[in-house]
Amino acid sequence: MPGETDTPIIEVRDLVKNFGGVRAVAGLDMSIYPGELHCIIGPNGAGKSTLFKLVMGIQRPSAGTIFYQGRNVTRLKPFERARLGLAIKFQAMEVYQELTVFQNLFIPLRRHHRPKQIPEQAAHLLEQLHLAGTEEKLVSNLSHGQQQWLAIGMSMAVRPEVLLLDEPTAGMSPEEVSETARIVKDLNAGGTTIVVIEHDMAFIRNLDSRTSVLHYGKLFAQASFGEIEQNEDVHRIYLGTM
Amino acid sequence: MNSKGSALDKYLGLLNGPQTMGRGLPFWLGFLAIVAALALGPEFLSRYQIINFSNFLISGFMALSLCLIWGYCGVLSLGQAAFFGVGGYAYGVVAINLLNAHGNTDIAFIAGIIIPVVFAAIVGGIMFYARLRGVYIAILMLVISLVIGTFMRQTADPDYTIGAAYLGGMNGLRPDSPDDPLLPSLIFGFGQTIQEFDGRSVSFYYLTLGLLVAVYLGLRCLVNSSYGYFLVGCREDPERTETFGYDVRRIQLSVFCISAAIAGLAGTLYTAWGTYIHPDGFGVAQNILVVIWVAVGGRKDLSAALIGALVLEWVSLRLASEGEYALLVMGAILVSVMLLAPTGVVTTISDVIERLRTNRAQAEGAKAPEIRKP
Ligand SMILES: Nc1ncnc2c1ncn2[C@@H]1O[C@H](COP(=O)(O)OP(=O)(O)O)[C@@H](O)[C@H]1O
Ligand SMILES: [Mg+2]
Repeated sequence: MPGETDTPIIEVRDLVKNFGGVRAVAGLDMSIYPGELHCIIGPNGAGKSTLFKLVMGIQRPSAGTIFYQGRNVTRLKPFERARLGLAIKFQAMEVYQELTVFQNLFIPLRRHHRPKQIPEQAAHLLEQLHLAGTEEKLVSNLSHGQQQWLAIGMSMAVRPEVLLLDEPTAGMSPEEVSETARIVKDLNAGGTTIVVIEHDMAFIRNLDSRTSVLHYGKLFAQASFGEIEQNEDVHRIYLGTM
Repeated sequence: MNSKGSALDKYLGLLNGPQTMGRGLPFWLGFLAIVAALALGPEFLSRYQIINFSNFLISGFMALSLCLIWGYCGVLSLGQAAFFGVGGYAYGVVAINLLNAHGNTDIAFIAGIIIPVVFAAIVGGIMFYARLRGVYIAILMLVISLVIGTFMRQTADPDYTIGAAYLGGMNGLRPDSPDDPLLPSLIFGFGQTIQEFDGRSVSFYYLTLGLLVAVYLGLRCLVNSSYGYFLVGCREDPERTETFGYDVRRIQLSVFCISAAIAGLAGTLYTAWGTYIHPDGFGVAQNILVVIWVAVGGRKDLSAALIGALVLEWVSLRLASEGEYALLVMGAILVSVMLLAPTGVVTTISDVIERLRTNRAQAEGAKAPEIRKP
């Protein structure tokens, strides 16, 4: 577990995002440390996806600051943040539906590889994702779970320092969920910092990482998953009795 | 089909690739046959028909230009004629001014391409960096084209001159005084030698055909390169593509400028062809026709868009003698294509052929599986 004395790889301070009258993120302070695997949970509408979009730069914060490796990136565009080493898989299906699997991977892989190296790199990634040999398939012919893996693979393909995964197991069978946990842990073991938003408790238990609970756009609790699981208050907000 | 390809692919490189339909021997033989037929055209066609065919070929550039930004990058412009017109006027103005001094139209030809690009860089810069999208870009481009047309229409006042060129309002571009040269056809000067391409001549037809083949093949290489993947990425999901570290707006702007160069080339050739450019070139009909050609042929493929333009232009010339009736038929063609083959006629036909071929290949593969063993 990382020490609080390290420089966080991602840090948000007093982060606020308003949508009209809705305060999706309400003065959030949070840090992610290098090499960490970190889960974010919280009821629907807690502001989890919005937090990711703010960190990636897809949306602009109403107030507050975002640091990446100690550098203030609040004003940088998404592609500039991506070039610094941030990658994301949004909550929605994140593949190019009309293209083949190979073409889907070509676009992110081309960031760091010459065209001649790409077939080999793509094959290697597909191997890791249980998608070996699917290069020429149209993405729309893959199963839902396979599309999710491909989407994760596309984000991995740019070799990020930090990978943000928003509900990677949505719509997966239990076998696929545990396979996804393995993929995520492997990737983290390789040195990539990973932040995962999830609802699937089996998945989070499997990852067994430091876990943050968001509630009404604020950090409600932060601890190991074991402690979070025992936390009465967390149970209450999930049941909506607060 | 596989991405490794055949021996032929190796020689053709980027000419064949994922973003263009048609590969392998049959396609390229067909391509050569069509080019050869067009090249032999002057043997069989009358002078009048050759002049018309030159004009068809010019429409081909417009189709390629729109296909590139709309079909590949997902940016529909209803104002592609703005670049056509700006190119045509730029060519004409520079040619009238420099012809006497230079004896050729080299600089005018270059201006006819470069000035639309500069114009596109400014307009596109504003549009893309203001994060305009979809229908707003389409309509804004149409408005820009119409505004330029309206401005050009009211330039009949003798004050509207640029050097020796008088904009001339509804009468079109012309020399300011009888001493100035008339708007010329293309005259290229290579050192001491000059080569003239009179718009009514067979040589102009060959020049246009040569340029069209070159632009078509050049664009095939472009869209099958890594850049082509980025274009398609911007079309399919610009937000996702940006999260991979690509500057989507710069990609959109760059492709917008390339398409403006091609439309400008079309305007230049058109002006040289008829020694004539007129504000109607910026009109609604000019803009919408390009969209119809590309939509009917198939917007997601260069060949489909090009064939769409050439065939529809030929059809509309056939119908032109029937008057109003022609527009009605064009409209009917567009509507039926939208309903029956929304991806475009050429694209649909090619998909069917491709499917038949793979089915047959699979059937043959099933018959003789042991051949593959060493
Ligand atoms: N683009 C948007 N426009 C308006 N409201 C939004 C937008 N995105 C999110 N919200 C609102 O912000 C709140 C937080 O949403 P979100 O971050 O998606 O929550 P979570 O991912 O935790 O379920 C919700 O009330 C949602 O309705
Ligand atoms: Mg969410």
